Amino acid sequence: MSMGEEMTAGSSAGAGRIERHKSIDRVYHWLMAAAMLILLVTAFLPILGIKFAWVDIHWITGLVLTVIVLFHIIRASFWQSFWSMMIDSGDLKDPFGKPGKYSLAQKLYHLAIAVLILAAIASGLLMWRKVDTPFWQRDPYWLSTDSWGVVYAVHGLAAMALVTMVIIHVYFALRPDEWYLLRSMLRGWITRKEYQDHHDPRRWTAKDEG
Amino acid sequence: MSLFRYASSIYGGSDTLIGANYGLLPWFALAGIGFAFAHAVFKAVAAPNKPR
Repeated sequence: MSMGEEMTAGSSAGAGRIERHKSIDRVYHWLMAAAMLILLVTAFLPILGIKFAWVDIHWITGLVLTVIVLFHIIRASFWQSFWSMMIDSGDLKDPFGKPGKYSLAQKLYHLAIAVLILAAIASGLLMWRKVDTPFWQRDPYWLSTDSWGVVYAVHGLAAMALVTMVIIHVYFALRPDEWYLLRSMLRGWITRKEYQDHHDPRRWTAKDEG
Repeated sequence: MSLFRYASSIYGGSDTLIGANYGLLPWFALAGIGFAFAHAVFKAVAAPNKPR
């Protein structure tokens, strides 16, 4: 099946669709993807020798990322099934068996991304103090030289590790056996057959798309 | 190759940490590409029939 066919699979069988991602969560995911790409491009192209006025684009996009990540944390904590993304005993007993909504690998990936993005955001918010903004004048002496060094090191290492993670994420999204997940992040649903083939209904009680 | 960048102190003291070593960026990118390649080979050779 081609990627185009995969994206429309099950279209003629509306009753056979299982909702996987609500539209608000898909918008969050793609906004975050756009923000991440802009942040990585504006961070690393100047280092690779492609010079342009990147600072304002970078901090404004970083602020957008901070806001949407806060939105995600609040939504995941109070409106989504928070525990569906947490590693549980079922994952450890049978790491390669049929998972609930998310596999152990997906949960580990999410955990790693969460740690890296929170580290990048925390250090980025501190670095914001060294940038002139409409809210304040830069103050490079706000922290000691040694402390700034730690902040820059955390930000830089997190950013480089995020390059690794983005490459891995794009690879899995483009694998043909994962296209149904890419479709679910684009259109929100998987087919009932995909649900039965890839998930344990006792661990993820899915709802038909309403 | 160090994970960090240091600057020499103008006062002659110990070197000061100034950030991550961005010379490592290609290695981080290669780690992602290498993982993807290794996984693709594994799936193609060792586990071609498993659904995931």
